[in-house]
Formats: sequence, structure tokens, C-alpha cells
Amino acid sequence: MSSKPQALASTGPMRAFAANSKKVSTELIEINESLLEFNKFLTEYYKQLSETWNEAQKKVNLKAPEVPQDVEQIEVFKRIWIDIFDNDFTELFDSKKFGENYGKLVSKELELTKHWNNISNVILQAANLPSKEEIDEVYKELHALKKRITKLEIESKKKKSE
Amino acid sequence: MKSESKIDPKIMEEIIRFNKNIINAPKLVDAPDEIVLEVTPHDVVQEIDKTRLLHYKPLTDKQHKTPLVISYALINRYHILDIQPEKSWVRNLVQQGFDVYMLDWGNPTSMDKYLDFDDYVNGYLDGAIEFIKNESSVEKVSLQGYCTGATLATAYTTLHPESVKNYIATAPVIDGWRDTTVISNLAKNMDVEKMVDIIGNMPPEFMYYCFSVLKPFEQGIEKYVNFFKNIDNKKFVDNFLRVEKWLSDTPPIPGELFKQWIKDIYQDNLLIQNKMYVNNNHIDLKKIDMPIFTQVAVGDHLVSPECSMPLHYAVGSEDKTLRMYPTGHVGMIASSLSQKKVLPELGKWLLERS
Repeated sequence: MSSKPQALASTGPMRAFAANSKKVSTELIEINESLLEFNKFLTEYYKQLSETWNEAQKKVNLKAPEVPQDVEQIEVFKRIWIDIFDNDFTELFDSKKFGENYGKLVSKELELTKHWNNISNVILQAANLPSKEEIDEVYKELHALKKRITKLEIESKKKKSE
Repeated sequence: MKSESKIDPKIMEEIIRFNKNIINAPKLVDAPDEIVLEVTPHDVVQEIDKTRLLHYKPLTDKQHKTPLVISYALINRYHILDIQPEKSWVRNLVQQGFDVYMLDWGNPTSMDKYLDFDDYVNGYLDGAIEFIKNESSVEKVSLQGYCTGATLATAYTTLHPESVKNYIATAPVIDGWRDTTVISNLAKNMDVEKMVDIIGNMPPEFMYYCFSVLKPFEQGIEKYVNFFKNIDNKKFVDNFLRVEKWLSDTPPIPGELFKQWIKDIYQDNLLIQNKMYVNNNHIDLKKIDMPIFTQVAVGDHLVSPECSMPLHYAVGSEDKTLRMYPTGHVGMIASSLSQKKVLPELGKWLLERS
């Protein structure tokens, strides 16, 4: 009789959550580590943007040192500003250093998402709901079944036409 | 002594007028949901999963026998090819007497993450072409692929050359290593395995980021300044809003398809080296032996000419034409230049072979 409340609790969400709570703590610690890395690449990302901005602005100042005085001059100044900024930023976005850093930044962001997914899975399991991986398995199975059906339909059409 | 600063009164007038235009904009401009992007009448003749095959209604008494199937890109929706009557790619071809079909890839959801190149090439595209062949009682169709849709169409044409009478590759994504665009730089450095594993489909937000780094100041500032300056010009505003609505509507790309596309085209560059496989089927560009017309835009900042042109030299066809146009990626298909030059040339080329 004393084991009954325990048995009852074994089907409830709190027991399932308690059993996996260590997983949540581990994920939170790892999130912090990923966040540090993410911030490193994010800082580099903004550093590259601000350096390019400063360089572009210097070029604009050299090319158009006078303050525009009328509408025509403003138009000319705007054209120069846009052309120089577009050229310099496109050069940055095309560069290896930007591509590599951006790739790492996105990669770290994905790792953060993965930790978040893992924490969500613990909560989903506690609520007796399918995890992301389990839903993915269903999607995969559906995809494979659809392919098999299409193949069978084609074969059956061929046989009918023979 | 104080220096007197003089401000040209015209500058003040400009500023006042510009502010007035911003205030008046909501009264003068349609809301995005009031704009209908499909302009040329059509029927939906086939639906497979989320894809739809559109068949455009004829606008001429007589039509050329060989139907033309358009395989649109995976980024954004097909509406840009029918964005407004005066700039509609589709309408122009229908008016030239062609029997035009368009494959709408639809809006994939999370459950479509396992759809791959094979599903698109040997499933949806092949399903559409087989349907058209039956419907029109023809053995072959003319196939046009645009941008990434041309990558799919190229793979299809190598695997099913018996179904393709003429192939038109418009700004095709072929040689990833030669591509000099920002998109290719981002794609080459992307951990696509991790992306697909963790988030499934390629999210639209990622594509919006990619758009935002293409000519960021021209597109992010100048474009909108011009919009408010021309707020009284109905035609300009209508065109602007249609393109903006189209730009802001990009569906997710199924994870497996996106993975193979990034790896095989941009990272390993397998297609142009004749090393790519789709579900164990070898994609050999030499098998493209029918007439081929490659259209390239010199100012294309999404698919650079260096990325598209190698197709012309890699195929096995003897009857091949390469045309370069002084415009951009979208300008080639939805501009007055496309109506005056690109489409008449394409129509003439197709007519001689239909």
C-alpha cells in the first residue's frame, strides 16, 4: 500500500521532470559556454561592420569634403555616399574573413537552439508529449512511405499499360 | 564675427515635401493584402503534395504545339514571373502563342524537411511534365528553369532528356565555385548539416538576411527614399509594392533539398564537374543534347554570370545559344528590357524549334 502513491506519481509529470532535471542543469551550463562563444563571434561581426563603416566614411569625406549647399549638391553627395558604402560593404560581405566569422556565428546560434530544443524535450517528455526527435521520426517515415506509394503507383501504371 | 549660414530654400521645400509624402503614404498606398500578384488567368490543373501546376489560359487564337513548362526558383514565389500585366513574363509568352505551364513549389512546412532533390526532380517536376505530355498529347515539352529552378531543371533534363525538346536556362545556378556573389560566400561557409539537423527547413528569415546584405544602402535606403519621393506616381507605387510583396514572401526550403543544394553546388561544386548524383542517378551535363538557350544577366548580384555561363560550355548540345543582357537578376524577367528584348528573342528562338 505504501508503494501505491509512488506508483501513482510514476505516471505524473513531476516524476518525469525530476528524473530529467539534471539534463536541464547540464544544458543550462552548456548554454552559457555556447553563449560566450557566440558573443565572441558577434563582437567580431560588429567590429567588422564598424571598421568598414569608418573606412567608407573616410573615403566619402575625401571625395566630398564640402558640405552640400543646394538640392543638386545633396543628390550628388547622397550618390557618392551610397556608392562608396555599397562598394565597401559588398567587399566585406564577399571577403573570406566575413564569411568565416558569419558561418561560425550562425553555427553557435544553432548550438544555442539545440540546447533550447533539448530543454524543451525534457518538458515535453514530462508532459508525456512526443519530443522533436520523435516527431522527426514520424516525418521521416511519412516521407519514405510517400516515396514507396509513388513507386508502386508508377509500377502499377506500367503493368496496366502492358 | 559670426559667419552667416545660408540654407537653400529649395532644400527646405524638399524636406517639407518629403515629410508630407510620408504622412500621406497610408492614404495613397494599398495595403499589401489588397495587392493580387497573380495577373494572368490560369487554372490549377494538378496538385501533388503542396505543389501546384498552373496552366495559363490562351490569349491567341492559335497556339504553338509544344507546351512550355516553367520551373521557378526555390527562393520567393513564382509571382515575379507574372508580377503585373506590362511586365509579366508569362503573359508575354502566352501572347506570343505559347502554351505555358508553371510549377508552383508551394509552401513547405516542418513535415517536408525530408524532401530532397530526388522528390523535386523525379517527383514533382517529372510528375508535372508527364501530366502535360498526356494532357497535350505530345512526346516532349520545352522546359525553362529560372535561378535555382534551373538547377532542378538541369538535373531533370540530364535524367529525362527524352521528355525535353528545348531547354531554356535563365540565370541558372551551376558553377558554385565561380560564383562571385555575397550569397555564394555565405553558402560556402555555412554548416548546413548542423542547420538542417537542428532547425529542419531553411527558414525564410535566413533568406531575408541574405537579401539585406546585397547592396545594403541602395536597397535599404535609396529604394525607400525613391518610393516616398514618387508617392504620387501611381504606376511607380504599384510596381514598387508588388515587388516588395513578392520579396517579403519567401517560403522555407525543405532541409534535405537545401543541404544537397548548398553542399553539391556551392561547397563541393559537383554539378559542373559531372560528379553530382540525385538518388544514385548520375547528373551528366553531356546528356543535355537538345537545343539549349542560356540567358545571363551581366549585373546579376544573386547568381553571377560566371556561375551560369559554364552550363553553355558543359552541355552536349550542338544547337546552343548564350545571351547576355545588360540588367540584373530580376530585371531579366520582370522589366521593360525583358519585354522589349529578352522575351522577343526567347520567343523567336522557341518558335523556330517548336
